[in-house]
Amino acid sequence: MKIEVNENLIKHLEGLALIQLSPEEEKIIKDDIKKILDFFNKLNELDLTNVEPLFHPLPQGRLRKDIPKEPLDREEALKNVKRKENGYIIGPKTYGD
Amino acid sequence: MVIKMIRKLVEDLKNGNIDPIEYVNKTYDRIEKYDKTINAFITVRDKNEVIKEVKDNILKGSKLAGVLIAIKDNISTKGIRTTCASKMLEYYIPPYDATVIEKLKREGAVILGKTNMDEFAMGSTTETSYFGPTRNPWDLERTPGGSSGGSGAALAAGYVELALGSDTGGSIRAPAAYTATFGLKPSYGTVSRFGLVAYANSLEQIGPMAKNAEDLGFLYTIIAGPDERDATTIDFKPDENIVEEKIEKIKIGILNDILELSDKPIVLTIKDITNKLASEGAIIEDTRLGYAEYALPAYYIIAMSEASSNLARYDGVRYGYSRYMEGNWREAYSKNRGEGFGIEVKRRILLGSFILSAGYYEEFYIKALKVRNLIKKSLDELFKKYDILISPTMPILPPKIGEVVNDPVKMYAMDLNTVIANLAAIPALSMPAGFYNNLPIGLQLMGKYLSDMKLIGISSYIEKNITKLYNLTAPI
Repeated sequence: MKIEVNENLIKHLEGLALIQLSPEEEKIIKDDIKKILDFFNKLNELDLTNVEPLFHPLPQGRLRKDIPKEPLDREEALKNVKRKENGYIIGPKTYGD
Repeated sequence: MVIKMIRKLVEDLKNGNIDPIEYVNKTYDRIEKYDKTINAFITVRDKNEVIKEVKDNILKGSKLAGVLIAIKDNISTKGIRTTCASKMLEYYIPPYDATVIEKLKREGAVILGKTNMDEFAMGSTTETSYFGPTRNPWDLERTPGGSSGGSGAALAAGYVELALGSDTGGSIRAPAAYTATFGLKPSYGTVSRFGLVAYANSLEQIGPMAKNAEDLGFLYTIIAGPDERDATTIDFKPDENIVEEKIEKIKIGILNDILELSDKPIVLTIKDITNKLASEGAIIEDTRLGYAEYALPAYYIIAMSEASSNLARYDGVRYGYSRYMEGNWREAYSKNRGEGFGIEVKRRILLGSFILSAGYYEEFYIKALKVRNLIKKSLDELFKKYDILISPTMPILPPKIGEVVNDPVKMYAMDLNTVIANLAAIPALSMPAGFYNNLPIGLQLMGKYLSDMKLIGISSYIEKNITKLYNLTAPI
């Protein structure tokens, strides 16, 4: 698959990943992504039609019993929060401009 | 020469042969003298606190009573800053301990500090750190490998005898190879990842680093075991006795398709060891992994995909870099993440987002997972024939600082030999193989799933009888 790596694609990815790049970074990353996608395209040499994908090396996980445990103390849990009020975290606006 | 450094150290501390204050002072003096240059540590704990803990713990009589240990800075330590070498977490202080830290504390180990690494473990040279690169104690112009380069350098610089690293695609083994130390990427699921800051969950494990096989195994048996807080741990606890394996009649496969892609001095060093193993009765055969050149792109596709999902949590709201809160949430998040992450992390998140986006998921991600399956099946077949597989740990000698870090594809190529074990969940160990122009070369042993202690036993034989390279400290 030929993918055109241009400014629009980089802007699209910044939006998907919620990362704002500086103009210099956009340029560096655009060039890198071209090279890295070429490197990934190596896989197209293989015929993988009848191969199953292996998502995870272990067939199943272990689950603990659904019994509540002693949680972290609220004060303790919120220690790394920069903006808080009455035990709540203040976040950015979720709607409007 | 005593090989079991840790057991002796614990005994000496207990018997009073080593004075705890002197032990700690010596360590801090060395760090003060050399670490401005080497930069193995991001955070070193307050000396008086450490002295007090060492003194208290000696009385416990536990397995690591009073022993200082260096911890990679992506493992949660309650009350001790854990940065992942990122501006994003520069001031983050975890409110809880990782399971491996709880286990170490239970055995009386004392955390000395948190070691430098590639930012969020994304790198192979410990140069992508926000806190500056770590230098290789064996050659200060060169990198110690990565991403657990601070842990490797802390061992080689003679600060500590034990360290923890984490390994997603070679991050324990690369620094072990480049600092002439020992490192194990354990079988997936044998060590809890609870408290390990996630990069690529299906690939990574926390693992031990040490200066000889015995200490490596000793540390592994302490940190391994099931954990109800990590659903991917399995019901398995390794045997605590390290048995030096008999080499006679052991079947060893040399992975030629990997060897062919390695630099000549490295190939010669590895061949020298396999020749000696053969002369001591091991059955050595040339073999091939198959798909060797596809392992690397498959690994990077999977790792970046998982990374883009894992690192979505850093929004600057609940913790972490949080300069911006103006505008709507998309703008605020995008600005915080744009400034908080370094370039390599951004590269991987952006590519991961791309790979997982509509239209490309099948094209890249699913194909990579198919290759993962092919590699696993190929290894399953190989382990029907061989007890272990041997290869160099790294295809090139330690690069100079700045040599590869700005060329991503060149840097990724360094992981060629190591990613295989992560894709297939099998254990892999790196140990010192020799030196070329005073630069360390690592030997990698891979075994079938859950054969970790067997690998340690074989490396114990090799260090004693063939390479005689153990307990090495770099002449700084």
